[in-house]
Amino acid sequence: MIEYILCFILFCIGLYCVLRKRNIIKIVIGLGIVEYAVNLFFVLIGFRMHGRAPILAKDQTISNMVDPLPQALVLTSIVIGLAVTALIVAIAIRLYEKYGTFDITKIRRLRG
Amino acid sequence: MKNKKEVGMTLIVKTITRLTVGLILLYGIYIVLHGHVSPGGGFAGGVIIALSFIHLMLAFGKEAALKKLSQAASSILESLGALMFLSIALLGFLGGYFFFNFFLHKGTPFALFSAGIIPLCNIAISLKVGAGLFAIFAVLILFKSR
Repeated sequence: MIEYILCFILFCIGLYCVLRKRNIIKIVIGLGIVEYAVNLFFVLIGFRMHGRAPILAKDQTISNMVDPLPQALVLTSIVIGLAVTALIVAIAIRLYEKYGTFDITKIRRLRG
Repeated sequence: MKNKKEVGMTLIVKTITRLTVGLILLYGIYIVLHGHVSPGGGFAGGVIIALSFIHLMLAFGKEAALKKLSQAASSILESLGALMFLSIALLGFLGGYFFFNFFLHKGTPFALFSAGIIPLCNIAISLKVGAGLFAIFAVLILFKSR
């Protein structure tokens, strides 16, 4: 149970970073932490005590493997997270070009 | 333009990069080629291959890395990876259905040359992922300096 609570704490740290920080780069890092917390939670769901990696080996049986389904989902999630991070960084670079700052309280000329 | 010495990072970083970047590229190729017998595979190996070029770009500046692999070349390689994966899947129609393992002799299990079309699929995915990740990084840098 403790590992899920630690996972939730990691999620809350990322959420604090997204909601509270003013620098866009720190917000991107916070989104990354949130994403890693969710991925960690998925992998922990499939964990089994004394389990091995779910790879076909010579003395491998079904009963001593961890669940491979969350790992496959997390692999897809990592790819999507990479694309989202690249998109956010591109938007941040564009904002820096236009306003000359990363501070979101100074980016307020939305009209025009 | 700038002085030749000021491009990139310091001498220590450049020397270490020159020593390690080939090993990182080789490790990525190893992960790709052993993707069907050990952990790893096309995606992880492709990311490591892209990281070796990104390492070069961070240490030596963008000209040195883009001389090794230009942005147009990485776009072509990325498209080639996608087309290779699609053509492997479509070649399965020779045997009757999509993604059919069309090799007659599939090799012994847990050997390097085994598992039919899975190593070819891994190579295609690694081309796509590696060239795509490098292209994203190169586009972000070129975009900033414009």
